[in-house]
Amino acid sequence: MITKRKNHLLGDVIPVIIIAAILIVLKEFKLISTSRLLILQYIGLYSIFVLGINMVNGYLGIFSLAHAGFMASGAYAAAISSKYFFKESWMFPLILLFGGLIAMLIGLIMSIPSFKAKGDYLAIITLGFSLIVQSFLQNWRFVGASKGINNVAKFTNIYWVYGCLLFAIIIVRKFINSKYGRSLKAIREDQVASELVSVDVKRAKTIAFAVSAFLIGISGALLVHLLGYTSPSAYGYTNIVDGLVMVYLGGMGSITGSIVGATLWQILIQTLKNLGTWRWVVGGGLLCVIMIFLTNGIFGNKELSDAIHAIRKYFSRSKTNKTISEETTK
Amino acid sequence: MNNEAIVSFKNVCMYFGGVKAIDDISFDVDEGQVFGIIGPNGAGKTTIFNVLSGIYKPTSGDIYFHNRRINNLPPNYITGNGITRTFQNIRLFENQTVLDNLKIAHYSHIRYGIMDVIFTSNRFKKEEERIEEESLAILDFMNLTAYAEQKAGALPYGAQRRIEIARALSCKPEVLLLDEPAAGMNPVEIDELNQLILKIRNQFNLTVLVVEHQMRLVMEICNEILVTNFGRKLAIGKPNDIKNNPEVLEAYLGKVKSNE
Repeated sequence: MITKRKNHLLGDVIPVIIIAAILIVLKEFKLISTSRLLILQYIGLYSIFVLGINMVNGYLGIFSLAHAGFMASGAYAAAISSKYFFKESWMFPLILLFGGLIAMLIGLIMSIPSFKAKGDYLAIITLGFSLIVQSFLQNWRFVGASKGINNVAKFTNIYWVYGCLLFAIIIVRKFINSKYGRSLKAIREDQVASELVSVDVKRAKTIAFAVSAFLIGISGALLVHLLGYTSPSAYGYTNIVDGLVMVYLGGMGSITGSIVGATLWQILIQTLKNLGTWRWVVGGGLLCVIMIFLTNGIFGNKELSDAIHAIRKYFSRSKTNKTISEETTK
Repeated sequence: MNNEAIVSFKNVCMYFGGVKAIDDISFDVDEGQVFGIIGPNGAGKTTIFNVLSGIYKPTSGDIYFHNRRINNLPPNYITGNGITRTFQNIRLFENQTVLDNLKIAHYSHIRYGIMDVIFTSNRFKKEEERIEEESLAILDFMNLTAYAEQKAGALPYGAQRRIEIARALSCKPEVLLLDEPAAGMNPVEIDELNQLILKIRNQFNLTVLVVEHQMRLVMEICNEILVTNFGRKLAIGKPNDIKNNPEVLEAYLGKVKSNE
């Protein structure tokens, strides 16, 4: 007997809506301090970032380090557009879209090396890309070279961040449950075998990189308009490592994992702020411990709906066990 | 060249450096046949499959499918257009469910695009429903329904073999290539497999090419057999002719000494 398990679209989206409702109450009734509110915005923004990384590193299974480059291109494109073209606050969706699309364009180009190169070599190619973008921005006068862009309008607020996160979750979910998502998982397991069951590997990789870069670009655009400035130094090794840490902490190939990873890491980093430089030591140490005990990350290849499913199953099983043991004792 | 042949090889050579994996092989396969390819280890049997399914590009010579040259087409294109294979060492997507394994193989004939995915159009829903039904029908046909929701990697060997065939069938092939489907099976299981292969061929109107060592399988179900040795064609013919062909016996059993 096959029980059709429906894709619990609502199961994953409802928590976000609830969280958003809580946020509205918190913000509008000023129940939360501004610094905490900022942390919440970081969490939402980096969740989008991690979802983007997860498309390539998680679902497609390619170890890519291009996310810093994508974020930089999205952030700069958005900052330039809001400085010169879209100056009004109602144009913010256009700004986000522009940032996302520019990053997506670059993502499409970055998918080309992944057709041929594999593993470590591809990792180095993507690392090179990120560093090229950074040094390009450091030397481009028009965008302020190493000083970066200042006085960007602060359009981002908590509603935009969580609205975008909701959008990102829906997009990723739709892709993962389509033939493209299935082919990504197939390529992750066995590229040759998936080619020989008619999967168009190049197309799948192109789509994965495009969606990934689009989401990362949007997160970059949100970040710039949250902080009001940007500089090339924000998109270097620290950004690359931050992204990887959040992905591996939350779990590869999981939407829930992306959000959990981003949330935990941002909270950890922000609460340890008082420790100064030592926070990297404490944070890194904690990360080691987590990775030893949870090799696949917290939600590796699982979703919240799976977890709920498993918990329900566990309780129903323990109940039946109880009744059985009661009967036997009788 | 035989114009009625569904697959034909014309003087195909595949060299890896100095190694001649297949050397000047020509043969035609008629539609609806079960065509066996046998030969000792290293005779180039699997290479014939690799060349035919597009993993390798032949060094020289031409391969025709429905009288169309397919030498330089990418593997996913060949597979999507009618030639699908299974593997000698099973290559399922082990961490996916059996049903998903089959759904992945439907890729080439799912008719929706990215926009349909983003907006969850009616076409998307219909196509997803269609492939789910089709996959379940194939699973039912292969007696695998019980495994549908289980991870493919966790299943017994025999089931995995059948899942691989089911996955290949999901590509809607006209030609099915089976690479040592009977490896590691006992005689009873081989007899069952024979019946299964014939059943599949009749049900899906397939032409089947089989690479196999097990004579029990080859001699029983093949209409025609190609024998290769060291990459060269040794003989081609009906099973009975092959059985009595002195050259074939020599390749398999060694030379018959005259003083015996």
